[in-house]
Amino acid sequence: MAEKEIPERQGMSLFEATGVTKRFGGLTAVNNVDFHVEEGEIVGLIGPNGAGKTTFFNVISGFMRPNDGDVRFDGKTILGRTPNQICKSGMTRTFQIVKPFPEMTVTDNVLVGAFCRHSRAAAARRKAEEVIDLVGLGAQALKLGSELTVAGRKRVELAKALATEPRLILLDEVMAGLTPTEVSGMIEVLARLRDRGLTMVIVEHVMQVIMNLSDRVYVLHHGVRIAEGSPAEVTSDPAVMEAYLGAGFGVEAAP
Amino acid sequence: MSLRIHPVYAVGLILLLALPLVAYSDGMKAVMPSGLAGSSLMHIFILIFFFAFMGQAWNIIGGFAGQLSIGHAAFFGVGAYVSSILYIHLGISPWLGMIAATGFAALVGAGLGMVSFHYGIKGPFFTLVTVAFTEIVRLILLHWEFVGAANGLLLPYEAEPTFWQFQFTGKEPYYYIALAMMLGSILLVSWIARSRFGYYLHAIRQDEDAAEAVGVPTKRAKIQAIALSAGLAGAGGTFYAQYTQYIVPDDLVIGRISVEILLGAVIGGAGTVMGPIIGAFILIPVGEASRLVFESGGAGGSLTTILQSDAGLGEKFALYLQYLGAGGGGGLAIILYGVILMMVVLVMPGGVLPWLRRKFRSARA
Amino acid sequence: MADVYLQAVLSGLMIGGVYALVAVGLTLIFGVMDIINFAHGEFLMFGMYAAVFGSILLGIDPYISALICLPVFFAIGWATHAGLIRHVVGKGHAIQILLTLGLSLTMQALAQFLFSADFQSLNLSYSAATFDLSGARVSYPRLAAFLISMALCAGLWVFLQRTDTGKALRACAEEHEGSLAVGIDLDRMYKIAFGLGIACVAVAGVVMTPFFYVAPVVGPGFTLVAFVVVVLGGLGNIPGAVFGGLVIGVIESLAALLMPAPSLKHLAVYVLFVLVLLFRPQGLFGRA
Repeated sequence: MAEKEIPERQGMSLFEATGVTKRFGGLTAVNNVDFHVEEGEIVGLIGPNGAGKTTFFNVISGFMRPNDGDVRFDGKTILGRTPNQICKSGMTRTFQIVKPFPEMTVTDNVLVGAFCRHSRAAAARRKAEEVIDLVGLGAQALKLGSELTVAGRKRVELAKALATEPRLILLDEVMAGLTPTEVSGMIEVLARLRDRGLTMVIVEHVMQVIMNLSDRVYVLHHGVRIAEGSPAEVTSDPAVMEAYLGAGFGVEAAP
Repeated sequence: MSLRIHPVYAVGLILLLALPLVAYSDGMKAVMPSGLAGSSLMHIFILIFFFAFMGQAWNIIGGFAGQLSIGHAAFFGVGAYVSSILYIHLGISPWLGMIAATGFAALVGAGLGMVSFHYGIKGPFFTLVTVAFTEIVRLILLHWEFVGAANGLLLPYEAEPTFWQFQFTGKEPYYYIALAMMLGSILLVSWIARSRFGYYLHAIRQDEDAAEAVGVPTKRAKIQAIALSAGLAGAGGTFYAQYTQYIVPDDLVIGRISVEILLGAVIGGAGTVMGPIIGAFILIPVGEASRLVFESGGAGGSLTTILQSDAGLGEKFALYLQYLGAGGGGGLAIILYGVILMMVVLVMPGGVLPWLRRKFRSARA
Repeated sequence: MADVYLQAVLSGLMIGGVYALVAVGLTLIFGVMDIINFAHGEFLMFGMYAAVFGSILLGIDPYISALICLPVFFAIGWATHAGLIRHVVGKGHAIQILLTLGLSLTMQALAQFLFSADFQSLNLSYSAATFDLSGARVSYPRLAAFLISMALCAGLWVFLQRTDTGKALRACAEEHEGSLAVGIDLDRMYKIAFGLGIACVAVAGVVMTPFFYVAPVVGPGFTLVAFVVVVLGGLGNIPGAVFGGLVIGVIESLAALLMPAPSLKHLAVYVLFVLVLLFRPQGLFGRA
């Protein structure tokens, strides 16, 4: 895949987090992190376990309040707003531990999200069906949330969020628990979404996804941002290698 | 708005509409067990319609939104008292009083909802708040002279009542009014079930965080649900006051009407449209039948006389057995209700209706 | 004037001790099994009936009945869990509430069937006996109820802290899966916890019979007070329940003095309850 030029920051970013800090008692989980996303980008967020990715993600998606810093979507701060208000303004997230509505069919699950933009059931249903096709769940439309496989649940999770017609979607380890084939399938879906102009932030462990899809990548370690750049830049960064592999590996000079 | 009515329900409706025409006939008296024709039969159906309506009201917040309220007696009581006060003191027709009762009860429900949901009270804590709230309302009514305190309110008996006084000499008008209320509640809830509001409530019940994340205004929806639910319960309160001509704080005691309201909905199927209806049609006849069979009431003498008699222990025990056999202190119907509730919770937690639907689906597959 | 208040505080403390015992049972059940028991007060009610009829029919003194009821109601609690509660463990609070609500309804109606709705009370030789404590009159039966309740609470506390079974119970309360891993028989622990909780609440009822009336409908009032105490003291927190019980007892007693009518004292407690749920749901001792 050809290297995509990193877009210049022109004026206001679609999404901007500045100086985000989150403490739990004596522990600083996220320490003064800056982060921005431009329209149409796919931004990856990686880091070893315990790096503070999940906490940072919860803060930037509006599910946790930071102790310091600001988070702005479309120029307006999201702090203090409820998740449903944030969703209405155009930013939606998925959950890593997927939460399909267990007693509803796939269609109804997605319908709940579609109602965000369409108050009448008929229009919402049309939107839901469109989204279900987009993520490839057409065959399972009538299955109950509790009856789906992990891969199916991940797709429903994505579909629900997409149905809210967000400008920015935050994906929390959407590949976790999927087989390599399923991962490829999901990458295809995300690529299709990117082609339709959807801006995405992806938290991931699976490097294949990050390399294939991201335009830019942020790396967190111990709550601090240690690298930012294209996937190629970041994966050859000594600091990043040291973070993942431990001290002693990062000293290798680049050929 | 297209409405598909299952043929079973359509037939049932026709039978119900026609029932008063035959209830008093000799044919009915011959067919029904003793004492169960005519006025008593009408009374049973009025109770069924009333509890179906109340169960449906509860269903909106308890079934659809999944917020278990054991405090609906408070809304019921508020409604009953409001319309009765307006009639007794201001001569306002109970029909208008019912509208006022609905509005007032809805406000009370909204208030309770706003306070509870704003502070994030959920699950069993919300249930406890509704219990405490009902007790608070009951205690206030019990000590408030203006509303009759412990004696409650007795609605004045009119010798020649007019329609506007919402009092009737026969049972038929009450029957059709209750039936209309039940049908109205079915229409309302079935509309809700297919609307965005209904889907939002279902989502809230199944996973409130996930719902919030996809744009569901959970706090607002819950408040709307409890306001609507409370308002309907208030209307039911007015009907009850007009039918029994009496409302007393004792009606709000936890464990009686408060529980009986949700009993039908839970047993029939909370969160479904017809669940509360089916639940009422199961429970009320069971309760009334058991009362008829077991409670000849007092035939065994009072327990106190047995206890205080000079007889020896063995003789007392024999007398006691007789006492039990004659129905004891009563309450057998409620024992049945409790047992049925427990059985349903253990065996078919979603209620009878979903359980039946699953059986039919697997039978057809 | 101060005498009246001293009187109120003293009698509030004494009934508070009983509330503590009732609440301790409830909080133990919740702490260990995460079960909300809406039928708690009904077991208290049956304990009372056992004592009342034991006294009227067989001449057994309530304090002797208390000794008998401890193991008997432990067994009843054990059996109730094994037969009923076990099926809804871990199935979500709504189902537990509905099941225990059904149980409460059944027990209330059963009591009405068996014992009639009439109020029963014991009029023993010592029912009205009092002594003087710096101007306040202290009732012997209430003092006895307080002392027995506190003794039981203390005994339970020692049991939980010092014995193996007790420690196992605390392990269950803190970490369900972890305790499974260490080989603790979870089901057996639950039966024990439920049995203990029911034994406590039944004895609380028994020791009240010298000065309190019994009727099938007294259960829910005690259940509600128990919940108030448990929330105030913190779910699963036994010392918290003891403290909360005493506090609620005193508040209720003072409210009886200060409110327009003594029977409105419950109003004060329920309003306090709602306020605690709104503003400090973790109770006096929990962390937000």
